[in-house]
Amino acid sequence: MTKVANAQPRPRFVPGQPDMWAFVLFEALVFTGYFIVYIIRRTQSPDLFLQSQAHLDLRVGVFNTLVLLASSWSVARCVQAARERSFRAALTNAFLTMLFGFLFLVSKVLEWATEIEEGFGFTTNEFFSFYYFLTAIHFLHLLIGFVVLAIGIYQLWSPARRSQEMIETCATYWHTIDFLWVLIFALLYVMR
Amino acid sequence: MSASATGALPEEPPGSLLHRIAWHWRYDPKRELWIAWWTMLVFYQLFGLLFFVVTRTQPPPQPWWEPTRVAQWFDDHHYGLLIGFAFVFIISGMTALMNALIAYSMRRMSVSRAFAYSYLVIYALSTLPGMLLLGIALTVGAMRPDRDPELIRWIYDFAFMTFDGTMGVFLVGSLVWMVAILLDENRVLPKWFAYLSLCNALTEVVVAPAWIFKSGVFAWNGAISYWLNVGVFVTYTTVFLTLLRRMILREDFGTGPLPDLSTDEAPEPSGSVRAAG
Amino acid sequence: MSTGFDKRLIVAWLALSAITITQLGVGSLQDGLRPNAAITSGAIVIALIKVRIIFREFMEVRHAPVLLCRLTDLWVVVAGVSLLGCYFVGMAFSSGFSLR
Repeated sequence: MTKVANAQPRPRFVPGQPDMWAFVLFEALVFTGYFIVYIIRRTQSPDLFLQSQAHLDLRVGVFNTLVLLASSWSVARCVQAARERSFRAALTNAFLTMLFGFLFLVSKVLEWATEIEEGFGFTTNEFFSFYYFLTAIHFLHLLIGFVVLAIGIYQLWSPARRSQEMIETCATYWHTIDFLWVLIFALLYVMR
Repeated sequence: MSASATGALPEEPPGSLLHRIAWHWRYDPKRELWIAWWTMLVFYQLFGLLFFVVTRTQPPPQPWWEPTRVAQWFDDHHYGLLIGFAFVFIISGMTALMNALIAYSMRRMSVSRAFAYSYLVIYALSTLPGMLLLGIALTVGAMRPDRDPELIRWIYDFAFMTFDGTMGVFLVGSLVWMVAILLDENRVLPKWFAYLSLCNALTEVVVAPAWIFKSGVFAWNGAISYWLNVGVFVTYTTVFLTLLRRMILREDFGTGPLPDLSTDEAPEPSGSVRAAG
Repeated sequence: MSTGFDKRLIVAWLALSAITITQLGVGSLQDGLRPNAAITSGAIVIALIKVRIIFREFMEVRHAPVLLCRLTDLWVVVAGVSLLGCYFVGMAFSSGFSLR
């Protein structure tokens, strides 16, 4: 492909079903609502939140973020491979995404287990209520994400299916899990 | 109310509203659907009025009150509770028509009838925690104001927990409708509404902490467990009322894809661009 | 795999990962536990920049119709304004009012 061909503007298209984008934006709004409540409550007891936050391991948070960013990268590659009809590559990337997702899942569960063992549970204090709430509702989205990825893999598997729109729709959902986590990470682990 | 978009119906004659309603009652093949839809609209208005204004049981009062304070609440709300819930019990049967309309939407879809039937069963049962148990418990509490305050508080906890804390029954129902819509090839309802049902189901999960917290944002009247959830639910209800109306307008009583509305109505909102084939 | 697209994706991913790794250093930015508006604002703004990169590069909003670009940007702005706004207003009124 010449550089000129690459520079030509592609016709604009909506990745996946526009319906899924409606979901993404609406869910982002709902989560923004949760974040607003969290921040307001945090400003009412800043010392409690700061002291409790110190018990979180920032390195684990960073690791989890890196894992989800990698999963977004692999699912984006999957979409592109499918678009170019390299379905084996697409499938490989889809499975890789699942693997990253699973890595996040294991890491999160271990993190929760460690914190519970140290005595920090859902009802310990307000910070930890928010921590478990936000990470758990995100975790639920992740579990749904596995179902969505499975649908994508099912599409990619047989030549009779392989709807590009379905694959892009599944990828759009998966990216939502990633960008929501980026915000959760900033609010729970990083902000002071 | 306008005539069927597929036009097998003779023109609705001009005249007074009453005259036109009488004409629809006699000739419109969709009259049962419209009756169900109007029942749904009226029910939700009445529900809002009865729960938020007459009985003032929504938004819910504080979970952490002492028994004497709770007895005081019953005292302040005495007549509102008795009169308001009397009306709630009278109109509770309207839910049958509402659930039938939603189940009808699933029957019209290309998916198995099992979806419609399971939805009906789930939602028939859900009127208990969704409305009736709260009504029964609070009227029992209001009936004898001289009861022991500890007992009154028990009734109070029971009432609000069954109402605000048992979203699970609605959760599975929402998911049944969602899966039916996603699998449907007759385009009865748009796919984005299925995803909105998922959002609604997820915010209902968020109500669960109300069983643990008696104060704060996760309590039965908390910012997250109540207000955000109610905001999403009201949006969801408004949306499906509108979509069901469009469904009835588009209905052609066939078994294939529902036709879009004719151009003088608003266009079908689903924006999905279908690839060829 | 078209190399142009592939390269762009890798660059985006590396940038996002690099930003994330630098946030490891946030703990050493101050001694003691005190609310810090600069760190908080930085964290929120950086997170929203990351989110926008995810939208535009991974979710291909760059190639989407203008309406979708505007909607995603609008949400980023709304989220930023509301989160930062609530933080600063909340800190100003700290222990003054309560949200149930």
